[in-house]
Order: sequence, then structure tokens, then C-alpha cells
Amino acid sequence: MTLVVLSLMFWAGAWVLNVGLAQSAVTRSRAGRLLVPAIFGITVLVVWEGMVRGLGVSPVILPPPSAVAARIAVSLPTLWADFLQTAVKGALLGYLIGCGAAVLTAIAIDRSPFLQRGLLPVGNFVAALPIVGIAPIMVMWFGFDWQSKAAVVVVMVFFPVLVNTVAGLAASDRMQRDLMATWSASYWQGLFKLRLPAAMPFIFNGLKIASTLALIGAIVAEFFGSPIVGMGFRINASIGQLALDMIWAEIAVAALAGSAFYGLVALIERGVTFWHPSQRH
Amino acid sequence: MKKLLTGAMLALMAGGAAQAADDVTLQLKWVTQAQFAGYYVAQAKGFYEEEGLNVTILPGGPDVAPTQVIAGGGADVVIDWMPSALAAREKGLALVNIAQPFKSSGMMLTCLKESGVASPADFADKTLGVWFGGNEYPFLNWMNKLGLKTDGSAGGVTVLKQGFNVDPLLQKQAACVSTMTYNEYWQVIDAGVAPEDLVVFKYEDEGVATLEDGLYVMEDKLADPAFAEKMVKFVRASMKGWKYAEANPDEAAMIVLDNDATGAQTELHQKRMMGEIAKLTAGSNGALDPADYDRTVAALMSGGSDPVITKAPEGAWTHAITDLALQ
Amino acid sequence: MNRILPVLTVVLVIVALWYVAAVGMNRAWVYDQASRAGVEPPGLGGLITATINQERPVLPAPHQVAAELWKSTVGMAVTSKRSLIYHGWITVSATLLGFAMGTVLGVVLAVGIIHNRAMDLSVMPWAIASQTIPILAIAPMIIVVLNSVGLQGLVPKAIISAYLSFFPVVVGMVKGLRSPDQMQLDLLKTYNAGDAAAFWKLRLPASVPYLFASLKVGIAASLVGAIVGELPTGAVAGLGARLLSGSYYGQTVQIWAALFAAAIVAAGLVALIGVAERGALKRMGMAR
Repeated sequence: MTLVVLSLMFWAGAWVLNVGLAQSAVTRSRAGRLLVPAIFGITVLVVWEGMVRGLGVSPVILPPPSAVAARIAVSLPTLWADFLQTAVKGALLGYLIGCGAAVLTAIAIDRSPFLQRGLLPVGNFVAALPIVGIAPIMVMWFGFDWQSKAAVVVVMVFFPVLVNTVAGLAASDRMQRDLMATWSASYWQGLFKLRLPAAMPFIFNGLKIASTLALIGAIVAEFFGSPIVGMGFRINASIGQLALDMIWAEIAVAALAGSAFYGLVALIERGVTFWHPSQRH
Repeated sequence: MKKLLTGAMLALMAGGAAQAADDVTLQLKWVTQAQFAGYYVAQAKGFYEEEGLNVTILPGGPDVAPTQVIAGGGADVVIDWMPSALAAREKGLALVNIAQPFKSSGMMLTCLKESGVASPADFADKTLGVWFGGNEYPFLNWMNKLGLKTDGSAGGVTVLKQGFNVDPLLQKQAACVSTMTYNEYWQVIDAGVAPEDLVVFKYEDEGVATLEDGLYVMEDKLADPAFAEKMVKFVRASMKGWKYAEANPDEAAMIVLDNDATGAQTELHQKRMMGEIAKLTAGSNGALDPADYDRTVAALMSGGSDPVITKAPEGAWTHAITDLALQ
Repeated sequence: MNRILPVLTVVLVIVALWYVAAVGMNRAWVYDQASRAGVEPPGLGGLITATINQERPVLPAPHQVAAELWKSTVGMAVTSKRSLIYHGWITVSATLLGFAMGTVLGVVLAVGIIHNRAMDLSVMPWAIASQTIPILAIAPMIIVVLNSVGLQGLVPKAIISAYLSFFPVVVGMVKGLRSPDQMQLDLLKTYNAGDAAAFWKLRLPASVPYLFASLKVGIAASLVGAIVGELPTGAVAGLGARLLSGSYYGQTVQIWAALFAAAIVAAGLVALIGVAERGALKRMGMAR
């Protein structure tokens, strides 16, 4: 019981600290702004540990963070192999293929409003197909290994990137396009020098959404058939073996990888679209 | 409608009876199918009511680990396979086997003849499909006994975590898949593959069989005499249900079909399954045979560098319930 | 007509390609069966009829999926356990409850983020991180924990739906509540309006278009959550259960029918939100 009370007190204390920090000058710097969510995260971990130990929750229901950390420490080779299989071979490849195909398709249908009006509602429908239904079908078609996982990721990321690219290609001003016309620019010159760069903020919006979808897609696809390596496989096998600490270790790796990927895309976005108002603060 | 009438009747009976019926929640290991016919028969035929029990049967499925459900307090008694239960016990979940309706193992490896597998010696360098979620232990033991590595290296076997169907075999993605004699094997036959094109290896025949469906409860709850008495009644009625199902397989299959909430099961499939299940329950009156238990434990501990359990479990089973139930 | 014709053309082209693909992908089985039976494989005409009418096809033909959809919706009693409408209703009820919970949570969090700097800095990164956690991994744990405190059936599934739908609402509402430009905020200051009045009279109405855009994303996410939540509860009832049992018994046509039913439900729900959006924006004078 003392542990429960202590963790609640820690939570209150951290909250007060965060409020104070948020209103102070510390948060004007980059590092200062990272401090607040970091404290929030640490608080969650401390409260979790305190509650689980204090209330005596069985480790086969919810293990404390210390057990998860211990499991991560001893399983690094396994976690790394799983990461390579799922995140790199499955998610990353699928992401690159899917986003590339979506941008190319958007450019291809750019000259035909007819095709655009036809393809987008159909794409809406395809995007609404639940992944837990697509995954078994992809495994049936592409086999057990990373190819089917990449296929699932392609299906998941294609449509958001397509919609955003089409919106982006329409984003350049009338005046800007007229300017290109006064310089006697051909369609392709206009595309590469004006419309594609102007579309970049939208494209990156789609890429960021797709980055979170990609890893989830690869993991879920592994639930339906996989070789005996991979994050989704490990999670699934651990459910039956009651190895809850392994499940949370894999979840931690997934969260880390997903956030890092999102951060990487955001970083590239900052470089490519430095001119956009949203990048000014 | 049937459930409404039964429920109304139960309510009336409960009102008239001196005591209210005892509630028991049973968690099945998989979806509603004839594999669990004994319990559904006992419920439909009123055997549980006669003992004064009000039993709720919870179907299982993929992503449902019966051990996790009982650990979370979601069920009083669960059906599980012994390897999974013993592994859970070693992890700190004190499960105790109170009854063993299944005497023989129904697990087997089904291979396509054209993949070139004629005997276990031919497994090397082939792809074999296995379920996980607790069912991989007998397979890993067998591979260990054959001296075959399961990491996909040359001279070993490549293991595939198969999903919930037999597509890997049909699509030729694996040379062999794990099947149960009562379920997936028939799915392969139903898909149009002739028995002559298949080679099957039964775990019983290969000497690597482990005990399958058994009833497990938490050790600390068993110490409570009222709970133990409830379990005695439950086991008695359940075994009555099993013996009835063995004697009347078609009727049992129809009862299971009535209880299937997904609407996905078919009469043909369930009747066939019941026939096969009856072969597995035959020879058991519900009491665990210590010799079978020892054999299973020996198999699980012989896993070489990766045994399923590292030391012989203590107090993992009891005859206390079945002794009283089968008097 | 302007909008229907392109969609119709694209759909017809896709259906044609689909038939061709079905013949291509299903023919291996036909050849296999022929060689097992020791007969000659059929010619092109026979092959086409054999491949588009298979019982367990690798790729079901469009008419097979349509027939199965028809049979499971219109062709049987709504209360039958094989009816897609029955299963669809179970999924939709969890979706709607989860969606309501997720939206309320999302709006509350967004209001907190706008008005409290500590929340602004701390909640957003973790909300983003929460969406990178694969829900399929946590769903069984959530179900088991909630079962042990007595919550079964609808509520655990709704909680998983809420988990997936709160994030788009938070992101959209934060953007929307911050959308009034400085001039409008300054105007309210000249009226001596406090924070609360500024919220109710300016920020909240300005955020309505953003809210509806997020609601559309949120309700689709909610449906996915309900389907995912059905798997660990024994896959007994609901569209997710139907998908899984189709996969389990190798009934490919059943899988595709359930898949399309789920997509149709999602499209229907999004369309409903679209109707509500047009009505609301019209009343507020913000209709485009």
C-alpha cells in the first residue's frame, strides 16, 4: 500500500514540477521543451511500477517496468533480429514501395481530372478495408516471409499518400502557374520546378501518417503466418507462453522504432520544406 | 429461444430449490467445436443442473490464452494442454490438473507426398508449419529428439508459424503442416487433396505425444473446500457428458452446432470431428493416469538446450477431485 | 453524372482486371486437380469457368463475392448467426460507443492542451507514441484485465475503439481550436472577453470544420478497433470474428464478403458524418 501512496505522491510532485517548468523560461530552448514530456514519461513508468508492485498484480497480467527492462537487457539479439525482419524488411520496404507508387500514380493521373474523380472514391473504399482482413489474403498470395508483410504495408500506405499528393499537386497558386507559363515552361518543367516542390508539405503530411501505419501493418501481418522471427511473431508466441515481459519489450521496441521513424521523416520534411510557414517556429 | 426457456426453467427451479445454483465459468481452449462436446452435452442434457451447477462456457480462439484468462480471474476452470499448463506453472501461475478427459493425443504432422517426405528422416531442409500459442512444445520436443535444428540452418528444418488454416500446405509453402486428427486434417481432405497424396505422422506413433485437453484450476482456490466440492460436481457432470457424447456422437455434434455463435461450423465437419474426438477420450474416465503424466514431463524436460520446463513440477496434478467425482 | 461516370469507369476497369487476375491465380489449382485425376487440363473456355467458380479460390471472382454478400445480408434472417447484418450490428455498436468515448476524450484533451502549457508540452509526444504501439498486441491484455473487473462484451471492445479514435480527434481539435487568427482574438480582448468566453464564442465554432474532418478519420479508426477487439474475445461474434472464422476454415469467399461488408460499413459511417457535417456547417453559416 505504501508503494501505491508513494507513486501517487510522485505523480502529484511531477505534475507540479511540469507545470512550473512549462511556465518558466526553461521551455524556450529545445532541450527544455523535451524535458516536460520526458518527466511525464518517467512519471508514467514510476506510477506503473508502484501500482503493480503495491497492488500485487500478477506478472502474467501486467509485469512491472523493471521486469520489462530486465527482459530487454537479456534479449537484445532476439529483439534486434525481430526488428530487422519486421521493421526493415517488412515495414521499410513496403513503405518505400507504397509511397513511391502513390506519388507516381498521383503524377500519372494529374493530367486527367476524370481519372482523379474516379480513382479517389475507389481508393477511399480500399483504404477502409480492415487490415486484419487484408493480412491473411496477402499471406495466402505472397507466402510467409517478409514479402507478404511488405505487401500489406503497401496497401495500407498507398492511399493516404495518394490523397495527399493529389491535394498537394493542386496547391500551387494560379499566379505561380501563370508565371511559369509566361516563361514558356513545358508541362514537365512546370511539374518539377513548381508543382512538385509546392506539393512537398502535403506529400510529407501523407508520409508522416504512413510512417506510423507501416510498422503497425507489418506487425499485424505477422499474426497471420510468419517465419519464427519478427516482432509480430514474438508477440503472438509470447501470448501463449505467458511471457508478458517479452510482449512489453517488443512493444517498447515498436514504439521506439515508430517514433524514431516519424521523427526521421519530420526531420527530412524540415529540410525539404524549410520555406513553409509551419516550419517557422 | 432454447436458452431462454432453459434459463426460465432454471430460474423457476432455483426459486423452488432450497439453495441457489452454484456458478461455474469454464474457459475453452479454442472456438466452439466438437473438441469440447462433453461440456456442451452436459449443459444441454441437464447434467450440470442435476448437480446444482450453473455453468457458463466461454469459447476461446486465437489470442485467447486460457492461462491468462484464469490468471485474470475471468474463469474458474480452464481447458488447456499439459505442456502449456506446466510451463505456466513454472512461470509462477499455480495451475493444478484436476481431470484428464483426453487419454490420447490427436496431434500429427501432415505432409504432401510430392514434397518428398516419406519418413521423419526426410524432414531435414524442409519447411514445416507449426502453431504457436502453447502448441509448439510437442513439436519442438520431437525435433530435438530427431536431432534437427529449428533455426532454418542447413540440415535442419525451417519452421513456419502457421495461421489458423491449412493454406501453407495447399499453397505448397510448406512441405508439412501441423494438424489435429479431428480438425485440420479433414480441412485438407475437404480442400480436395486425396488421402493417397498425403503422408501423416501421428505424435502418438512417434512416441512424442503429450497430454492434451485437461481441466485446470488455480491451486489457491482448490484449498477452499466449497470450491473443491463445486469442482467435484463439475467433473462428475462433465465426464457424464463426455461418455454420453462418446456413445451418441451425432447428437453431441448437433448440440455443439446449436451452441456455435459464429454460424461458421457445419454439420458434416462437427459430426466427423466428434467421431475423431471420441477416439481420443476413449479409455479415460477423467482421472489423470500418472504414467501418462510422467511421460509428458519427461518429454518436456528433454528439450536439450531449450527445454520447455527446467525441473519436474511439484503438485501440478491431483486425484482429490476425480476420486470423489468418480465414486 | 459528372461524379458518377468516372467512378463507374474506374470500377468497371477494376472488375475486368479482377476477373483476369482470378483466372490467372486460380488456374494452378485446376491444373493440380487435373493432374491428380490423371486427365487433361481443360481448354481456355473450360479453364475460365473452372477458375471463376471455385469453392476455395485463391482470388474469388467478383460475382462470387457479390453472391456471398447478398446471401449473407438479404438472403437470410437478420437474427441468424450466419447473417452479416447480425455480425455487422455487433461490430457497429462497439464502434459507436468507442467512437463516442474517443471523441469526448479527444476533445477534453485538446481543450486541456490549448489552455495548459504543461499539458501542451507533455501530452502530444506521448499521444503520438501511443499510436505507434500495435493495438493487436495490447488488445488481449486489455480484455483480460477488464474481464477480471467484470467488464465483458461491449465495453472492452469500445475501449479499444476509443484508443484508436481519440488521436485524430486530439490532433484535429488542437489545430482547430488554434485556428482563429490573432486579429479575431484581439477583437474579443477589446470586448473584455475572458478565456472561457473566447473559447465558447470563438475557438469552439472555428474548430468545427477541423472536428468533422477528424471525426471522419476517427470513426474509421474506431471500426478497425472494434474489429481488432473482437479477436481476443474468442472471435465469437462480429465482423472481425467472421473474418477470422473465414480465414480459419479456408473459406476465402467468406473472408472477402466480410471484408467488403466492413468497408461498406466504414464508408456508410463516414458518409453519415459527412451529412452531419454539411448540416452543421450550413446552420453555422460556414458551408462552402
